[in-house]
Amino acid sequence: MTAEALLTWARGPGFDWALAIFVLGMLLRLFEVLSLGSKPDLAEGRGSGVAGGLKTIVTRTLPRSSVFAREPLRIINGYVFHLGFFAVLFFYEPHIELFETKLGISWPGLSTGVIDALAVVTVASLVLALVLRLTSPVLKHISGAGDYVAWAVTILPVMTGFLAYHHMLLPYTLMLALHLLSVELLLVVAPFTKLTHMFSFALSRWYLGYQAGHRGIES
Amino acid sequence: MSAPSVEKGIQFIREQIDAPIASFFSSCVHCGMCAEACLFYGQTGEAKYTPINKVEPMRRIWEQEFTLWGKVKSTLGLSRKVTEKDFEEWETLVYDGCSLCGRCSMVCPVGNDISGMIRKIREGFAVAGYAPEGLVGATKRAIEIGSPMGVRLPAVKAQIGHLQKDTGLDAPLDVKGADYMVLLSSMEIMNFPEYMEAVARIMKQAGKTWTISSKAFEATNSGVQIGVSDLARELVQRVVDAAEELGVKTVISPECGHAYTAIRWEGPNLIGRPYKFKVQHILEVLDEFRDQGLLKTEGMEEARMTFHDPCQLVRKGGVVKQPRDLLNMVANNFVEMKDHGAMNWCCSGGGGVSANERADELKFKAFKQKKSQLDELHVDTLVTACANCRITLEEGLEENEMDIPVVGLTELIADHLVQDKKEKA
Amino acid sequence: MSTISNDGQMRDVIDTLDETRQRLLAAQFVKNVLPLSKDERLQRVIQMAANPNNTEDELMGAYKAAKAAALEAHARCGADGEWNDQSGYFVARAAEAAVAPKVRTHGKSIAWQTALSCRMARTAQASDSHDDAHDSESEAQYRIVTDFLTRNPQ
Repeated sequence: MTAEALLTWARGPGFDWALAIFVLGMLLRLFEVLSLGSKPDLAEGRGSGVAGGLKTIVTRTLPRSSVFAREPLRIINGYVFHLGFFAVLFFYEPHIELFETKLGISWPGLSTGVIDALAVVTVASLVLALVLRLTSPVLKHISGAGDYVAWAVTILPVMTGFLAYHHMLLPYTLMLALHLLSVELLLVVAPFTKLTHMFSFALSRWYLGYQAGHRGIES
Repeated sequence: MSAPSVEKGIQFIREQIDAPIASFFSSCVHCGMCAEACLFYGQTGEAKYTPINKVEPMRRIWEQEFTLWGKVKSTLGLSRKVTEKDFEEWETLVYDGCSLCGRCSMVCPVGNDISGMIRKIREGFAVAGYAPEGLVGATKRAIEIGSPMGVRLPAVKAQIGHLQKDTGLDAPLDVKGADYMVLLSSMEIMNFPEYMEAVARIMKQAGKTWTISSKAFEATNSGVQIGVSDLARELVQRVVDAAEELGVKTVISPECGHAYTAIRWEGPNLIGRPYKFKVQHILEVLDEFRDQGLLKTEGMEEARMTFHDPCQLVRKGGVVKQPRDLLNMVANNFVEMKDHGAMNWCCSGGGGVSANERADELKFKAFKQKKSQLDELHVDTLVTACANCRITLEEGLEENEMDIPVVGLTELIADHLVQDKKEKA
Repeated sequence: MSTISNDGQMRDVIDTLDETRQRLLAAQFVKNVLPLSKDERLQRVIQMAANPNNTEDELMGAYKAAKAAALEAHARCGADGEWNDQSGYFVARAAEAAVAPKVRTHGKSIAWQTALSCRMARTAQASDSHDDAHDSESEAQYRIVTDFLTRNPQ
C-alpha cells in the first residue's frame, strides 16, 4: 500500500470506523454503568443532592491544599498534559477545520507557533508522567498494563502530529497517515481503558457530590 | 450469620456494585492522590495501603463481570479471578489498615467515594469469614446481648442510680412522647459515666423532656463496622421500634462516631423506609439549644485548647460548625489544627480498628499523624466528641508520652452550665 | 459542724478546702476502695496525693501513673466488657482525679470527683444489690470527711 492510499484510507473509512467504535464504545460503557442503577437515599437530607452533584463536577477539578503539598509535581504535571492535549486538539486550525466539516461549528484557533510549543510541552509532560508512574512506589503498586496502553495511545497522536507538521522522521504523507492512524488507535482503544474517565468523571463526581449535597457535607 | 464461604463473599461483593461504584471504577486513572490523603499510607509508607488498592478485589469482579472488555478477557482466560488467597491478603488492608475515615473520598480528582467502597467490600469479607476476631465478637454480642461490649440494662440502671443519688437529676426510662430519646454507646456506659450526667444537666436547663429506652439504649452499630448489613439493619430496627413505640420526636446519637453514621444515614436505607422521628447528634442538639438561648454558661477556660474532629461526625456527618460554636462559648484560647474541620485527620482508631487487637501496632503508627498535628500546636487540652476517639487519643498520647488531657465536649459544656446553689456539684 | 451525713454537707465541706487539703481528703476516699483494684501503682499514687509536701513534678509523675492505670483498665471498644471488672477502672479514675493538675477552670472539685468515681467502683463491683453498694460507699465517705475535719481542723 502506498503512503497516499494509506492516508486516503485513514482520512476516510479508517476515521469513520474509528469514530463509530469510539462513540458506540463510550455509549456502551455509559450503559454498563447506568444499567446497574442506584438506590434512592431514604435518610432525611439537609440539602440538595442536585446542587451538590453539579457543584462537585466543577469543584473537584482543583486539588485540596493538603494533598497538593505532598505531590505538587505530579499534580501540576497532570494539569499540564491535560491542558496541553486539549489545546492542541481544539485550537490548531487544521483540527478546527475538521470539526467544522463534521459538526458545522468552528471557533478561533491559536497561532501555529503557540500550538507547536504546546505540543512539545505536552509530550514532555507525558514523558514525565510515565517516569513518575514508574518511579513512585504508590503508582507502581497500583498501575497495570492498562495504564501503559492508555499512555501510549495518548502520546502517539501528539508526537506524530508534531513530526508530521515539521516534516520530520518520515516523508510527510506517510507521517500524516501515521498521525491519523494513531488518532484512530486512540479512538478505538479509549472505551476499553481508563480513558473512559474523559466522560465518566462527570458521573462519578456527580454521584459523590449528590450524596454530599443531600447530606449537607463537604465534597 | 450462616457458614462463611468465599463463594458467598464474592457474591456479596458483586451485589454491592451499583451505578455509582461502576462509575468510580470507570473513572479511576490511578493517579495515587488517595494515598496522599490516607493516614495509614502516610505513616507507614507502604503502597499497599493506597485506598483504591484496598478495593482491588471488587474492581476485578466489576471488570470481569460488568464490562464488555472484561468479559472478553475472562472468556479468553486472560483475567485473574478473585480467590480465597485474595481474601487472605486483603483482609488486613480492608480492616486493619482503614478506619473508614473518608479522607480519600475528599481528594479523589474524579470524585470516587473510595471510603464508601471499602465499607461495601467489607460485606463480602465478613460473609466469607475474613473479618477480624474482635469485630466478629462485638457484632455477635451486639445482636445477642444488645451491646457489643456485653453491657446489659443493669449497668445502665446502675449509672442512672448514681446520677439520681449524686446529683438529684434523673434519666427517666421509657417515657412516652418525650422530646428526645437518648442513645448511649457501650464505651460511654462503661468508661465515661460523666456523659449521662452532662446530658441530664443540659436537658434540665434547657427544659426539655428526655428518656432512655430500656429496650434499645445502645448506640454503637458494630454491623456497620464489620460490614454486615443484615446485622446493621437489626440493630437499627431495635432503635427504630423503641423510638416509634415511645413516640419520641428526636433520637439523639451520642458522642460516638459510627453510631451517628449508622443511625443518621445508613439506618433508613437499611430498613427500607424513612423514620417517623428525627435523628440528631448530641452536638447538633446542644448547638440548637445554644442558638435558642437555652444554654446558660458561665466562666471561660483559659487553657490552650484544640478540637479533634471525629471523622463520622464532621467530615462524613456535616456537623462542622456546631462544635466550634459550642467551644467558643466556654473557651478563651481555642486554636485550630492546621488540617481542621472536614479535612482533619482520623484519630487512627475508627471504623472498627480500635476493636481489632491485631491492628494495635499499625494503629499506633497511624497515630503519629495526629501526634504531628498536636506537636505543631502545643495545646494544654484536647477536646473531642466521640468516646472511641477519646480512648484512642488517650492511648496514643500515652504511648508517645504526651501529657495532654482529653475531654468530651458535652461534658465540658455541662461543667460550665450556670447552676442553682442547691444543685451545685 | 459535727458529723457529715449527706451529700449536701459533704460538698459544702469540700468547697471550703484548698487544693492540698482536697487532695489529702481525696486520698482517703481512694484508700477505702483501693482493695477493689489489682494495680499496685495506685498505692504509690495515693501516697503522693496524701503527702502535703509533694512537689509539682512528683504530682505529675503520680498523675501519669494513674492515667496509665486507668487506660489499661478501661473496657476496650467492642471487647467483651465485664461490668464487675470496671471497678478497677473506676478506682484508677478516682486516683487520677486525686492527683490531676487543675487545668480546667470549671468542673467538679478534686475531692468530689474522686468521691464519685469511688462510688462507681463500689457499684461496679457489687453484683446485684448496687443500690446498697452506692449508699454504703457514700456513708463510708461521710465518715471519712467527719474524721478528716476532726484531724485537720480549719
